[in-house]
Amino acid sequence: MDDKYSSNVLSSGQLGMVEVPNARLTRYIVLLLVSKVLKALGIFESYDLLKVVHIVQFIFILKLGCAVILVFFQKPFSSGKAISKRQWIKLLKHSVISCIISLLGFFGLTLCGPLRTLLLFEHSDVVVIALLSVLFTSSGGGPSKTRGAALFIIAVICLLLFDNDDLMAKMAEHPEGHHDSALTHALYTAIAFLGVADHKGGVVLLVVSLCLKIGFHTASRKLSVEIGGAKRLYALDNLVSCIVLLPWVIVLSATTESKVESWSALILPFGMIIFSVMILEFYVESICIAKMEAPRCARYGSIFLFLSGLLLANFWTHPLTEQLRTMSKTPQQESTETEHVLSGGVLVSAIFFIMADSILSSPSKKGQKGTLVGYSPEGTPLYNFMGDALQHTSQSLPRFIKDSLKQILEEYDSRQIFYFLCLNLAFTFVELFYGVWTNSLGLISDGFHMLFDCSALVLGLFAALMTRWKATRIYSYGYGRVEILSGFINGLFLMVIAFFVFVESVTRLVDPPNINTDMLTPVSVGGLLVNLVGICAFSHAHSHGAAKSNCSSHDHGHSHGHGHSEHGHSHGGHGHGGNGHGQSSHGHSHGSSHGHSHGGGMNANMRGVFLHVLADTLGSVGVIISTILIRQFGWLIADPICSLFISTLIFLSVIPLLTDAAEVLLLRTPPEHEKDLNIALEKIEKVEGVLSYRDPHFWRHSASVIAGTIHLQLMSDVVEQRIIQQVTAILKDAGVNNLSVQVEKEAYFQHMSGLTTGFHDVLAMTQQMESMNYLKDGTCIM
Amino acid sequence: QGTIHPFRKTHRSFFGKLSQEFRLVTSDRQSWRILVFSMLNVFCTGCLLMWCSSTNSMALTAYTYLTIFDLFSRVFSVIFVCLIAHVCVCVFSTRFKRLEVLAVFASTVLVQLGALFILKESVERFVEQPEVHTGRLLVGTFVALFFNLLTLLSVKNKPFVYVSEAASTSWLQEHVADLSRSLCGIIPGLSSVLLPRMNPFVLINVAGALSLSITYMLIEINNYNAVDTASAVAIGLMIFGTMYPMSVYSGKVLLQTTPSHVIGQLDKLLREVSTLEGVLEVRNEHFWTVGFGSLAGSVHVRIRRDANEQMVLAHVTNRLFTLVSTLTVQIFKDDWIRPSLMAEALPASTLRPSDYGGLSSFVPPPPKPSEDINRLTSTPFKPSSPPPEFSFNTPGRHVHPVVLPNTQPQRPYGMGLSYGASPYTSMLNQDLARPGMGIGIGMNLGMGAAPQRFGRHPF
Repeated sequence: MDDKYSSNVLSSGQLGMVEVPNARLTRYIVLLLVSKVLKALGIFESYDLLKVVHIVQFIFILKLGCAVILVFFQKPFSSGKAISKRQWIKLLKHSVISCIISLLGFFGLTLCGPLRTLLLFEHSDVVVIALLSVLFTSSGGGPSKTRGAALFIIAVICLLLFDNDDLMAKMAEHPEGHHDSALTHALYTAIAFLGVADHKGGVVLLVVSLCLKIGFHTASRKLSVEIGGAKRLYALDNLVSCIVLLPWVIVLSATTESKVESWSALILPFGMIIFSVMILEFYVESICIAKMEAPRCARYGSIFLFLSGLLLANFWTHPLTEQLRTMSKTPQQESTETEHVLSGGVLVSAIFFIMADSILSSPSKKGQKGTLVGYSPEGTPLYNFMGDALQHTSQSLPRFIKDSLKQILEEYDSRQIFYFLCLNLAFTFVELFYGVWTNSLGLISDGFHMLFDCSALVLGLFAALMTRWKATRIYSYGYGRVEILSGFINGLFLMVIAFFVFVESVTRLVDPPNINTDMLTPVSVGGLLVNLVGICAFSHAHSHGAAKSNCSSHDHGHSHGHGHSEHGHSHGGHGHGGNGHGQSSHGHSHGSSHGHSHGGGMNANMRGVFLHVLADTLGSVGVIISTILIRQFGWLIADPICSLFISTLIFLSVIPLLTDAAEVLLLRTPPEHEKDLNIALEKIEKVEGVLSYRDPHFWRHSASVIAGTIHLQLMSDVVEQRIIQQVTAILKDAGVNNLSVQVEKEAYFQHMSGLTTGFHDVLAMTQQMESMNYLKDGTCIM
Repeated sequence: QGTIHPFRKTHRSFFGKLSQEFRLVTSDRQSWRILVFSMLNVFCTGCLLMWCSSTNSMALTAYTYLTIFDLFSRVFSVIFVCLIAHVCVCVFSTRFKRLEVLAVFASTVLVQLGALFILKESVERFVEQPEVHTGRLLVGTFVALFFNLLTLLSVKNKPFVYVSEAASTSWLQEHVADLSRSLCGIIPGLSSVLLPRMNPFVLINVAGALSLSITYMLIEINNYNAVDTASAVAIGLMIFGTMYPMSVYSGKVLLQTTPSHVIGQLDKLLREVSTLEGVLEVRNEHFWTVGFGSLAGSVHVRIRRDANEQMVLAHVTNRLFTLVSTLTVQIFKDDWIRPSLMAEALPASTLRPSDYGGLSSFVPPPPKPSEDINRLTSTPFKPSSPPPEFSFNTPGRHVHPVVLPNTQPQRPYGMGLSYGASPYTSMLNQDLARPGMGIGIGMNLGMGAAPQRFGRHPF
């Protein structure tokens, strides 16, 4: 686990990024701390202000104050080059978007409270970009980044699930009169439509607006270069956006009466917010990024911000601060004074957020991943860094879907599975939606069950696709075996299902629960119909496939029938028998497995899928029967008995598939060819010049390939190639179509004993030779 | 008989067989121990399943599946011990190595399917969270942890140990390694404990117990029932993460693939083989692992018409034998039927003319000129191209009057690589120089018969 052994190049001390010691940066860190504390204070203050002032007015005042100060300091019009008309238009768009984002952010603030807003919304760009690159690209940057991303997500989930803030719930019950504008009303209804509580909606809203903010920052970088500096852009942006907001504010103040009694009392808090949130933070951030690296700045900034947020949340509702704030308060707020308190969930998520930010913003320790080119003369590894960027040519998604669809529809098996999968998924989603609509838990759970079943179909589909891939270096025989492996996995899947059904029904047998049968019948009838379609399709597919393979074997028998007539006939007869079995499986469910097992691992994938569908059908039939029994006779025990029966049936029907697939996977001599092979081996022994054979291995590789290897010992005066020809022909008659024959004469063993220096090898070789001498007893002169 | 019957049917009754097996198992001390542990495991699993239903906790159920997985691996190893103890003598043993692989694959896949089931149940529980009783939760956790660690550390389960070492690291291991590396940066003394690769089973057991204790704490303190579901999801994901690399590894063995870590070595050996004297090309090379660690393979080597088959075979086998223990090499020549070749190693008088008559039924008609033109495209010898479907039963396809000067530079592995050739030819010459072997290369005869054909003779 040393660095030497990983492909980590840049992490060793000399090559890594040089970190400036903290001592030189103390000034900036302290500055950052002060600005972050002030910002947290400002956010808390603005939460209180937002209860009084309308959100649009609030943002307008902020932007206006900010613009006035910035125009005064930055002088965007007098300095720098003139701004063209096109740039003004871009600026207008930019400021509209920034208005929307700050609207969303402050609306989230009113919903979630200041602390949660700080935790969710105030992440720096570095952190979020690292998070997104972990989530959506393959090269995230090592396990530590992944951990950081996981912590971030857990923290958000903590806020969503474990933050049962009673006070927020109380706030969620506020009367509709609270919404005093069309905008907030629209947002509220949107959140209510999502069906979550207000503060949870706020969390979601804040996460979305965080992503928007980061995207906006990244996109506006180009514009800031065009305009001439981020500060000038910021000043102009504030100016333009307060012009944009001006008409709305005028309309608002004309139509609604303000809750504010005296604007003069609010001047101080507004000034403080403008100073701390909008201006000081901006300047300090830009200075710190210039002096320290951006990641470190982000790390310290977020830690300071969250800690001060936690501290403030602890003391904000404290009587002391209450006294301080009373001058900016109107009496009507006293009722909702103690909302959005600290809860355990918030505390945990704050800790997680701090950890996640410090991990995600730390510079990636893992160096660039290079490909090993070779070794230098000294023995140090050499890497190539070029390839990584060039390899990742991502295919466009629609094209990929189109291509894979085309591949799927090309062949009969995969097409069949695909259509059935679509049907199944459609049924599932109808069920799920109807379940959500009517709020019926049984339907939803059945829908999830169907989804669970669909995963087997997806597996089968994928295997059917993979089977047609070209052979590679690693998969030297081609991917045909994937089908058998997938059949095996599907068999295991069915075993697991049977096991769970069994356990469930045993517990129900002890204590049969009362079942509401109203909903069950239509669902199970629908499932039965869908699965019957599947059974028809797959049994047809299966018998078709079996018939096809049998036909091929039949033809094969005939083609060689010239030489060995009785052999060819027996082969044909065998094929017919198998075909008949396949046909008989059409109607009856239980006999099918027997019929298929004749194929002997032939297309185990389709068999697995078929059995899966069969099991589902049995399940729906069982549900229908037990429903009828319960309705007619009130036998509650019928349901567990039915499921017991079904689970044993599934179990029994899976066993042949499993054993067949396991035999193929274990490289067993295919049982249906065993007799032929034995005859063929006897024939080989009788071939003129062949002394003996050893290590005859024959196995079914995939549905179409039977491979084999055999070693022959020959007399030393025979032409090897002729023997190879004969043996190959004989074994091809027996069904082996991928054969390697090693032909050994006595000279070979002499060579080998000369070449190998090991004592044991020589010993083994001489034993071989002795056995050879014993076998040929006198037929050879040597 | 040469065929293998790993599952020979015996006509004894099932129970009789079972009792015989049982006696066999109990006779061995090692298997007796395994049996005791399996019994304990069954008992423990039963208790845990009961507690699962009484606490109604999903996370504990997920944790119980780990115990069941242990049981599986235990039972499989019992089967091996008793099977290998008495069946191995009469049956070819590589099939049982393969059975080990299958057992590892089956048990890892089964436990992953169980984890999938857990995930599905958890999704359902997120919709409606039932109450979780914490009464037996902590007890169950520690009982399960204790038993798992006990069985893991006391009974060595050979195939699982092998797979857990050979498979690629799971994400859990990676994260723990990363964390412990940064911890070792702070406390260097811990490096001997933390830096070696962790046993994935121990790791998942400890991590699962940890998440269960956190669940217990949170439910006790704050009554957050949703934590139970969340930790069930976490344990399920951990099971996936731990078992996935192992099932991929064993599944690749089952799929008869060339293990990727030996491909470099194999390529080097094949390159050496293709530079051997007389070898024209190496193709249809298939290599796969039979059990854990033992490589098998088959290769077709096309050689020059005048080369000695047995000697090339011996040298190819000698080269590959270091890596591939079970090897089959098929040597084939083009146009071997022509009489000029008969002068090669054996006296021509040994072949009677009637032999040719007998042969003609096996040999397809001579090639048409059109085949000669596209011969280059019809011969797939690149390692990446799909293996040709048994191309050498039609030797006529590759026959060409001026084959050798053309095909010599087309060796797939031999391009620009001279290092293998020079030591080898000296060795070959040494070998040739040994008297009394009865090998002679009829070079003079071959040259005399077709001098225009062997224009670029390397001898």
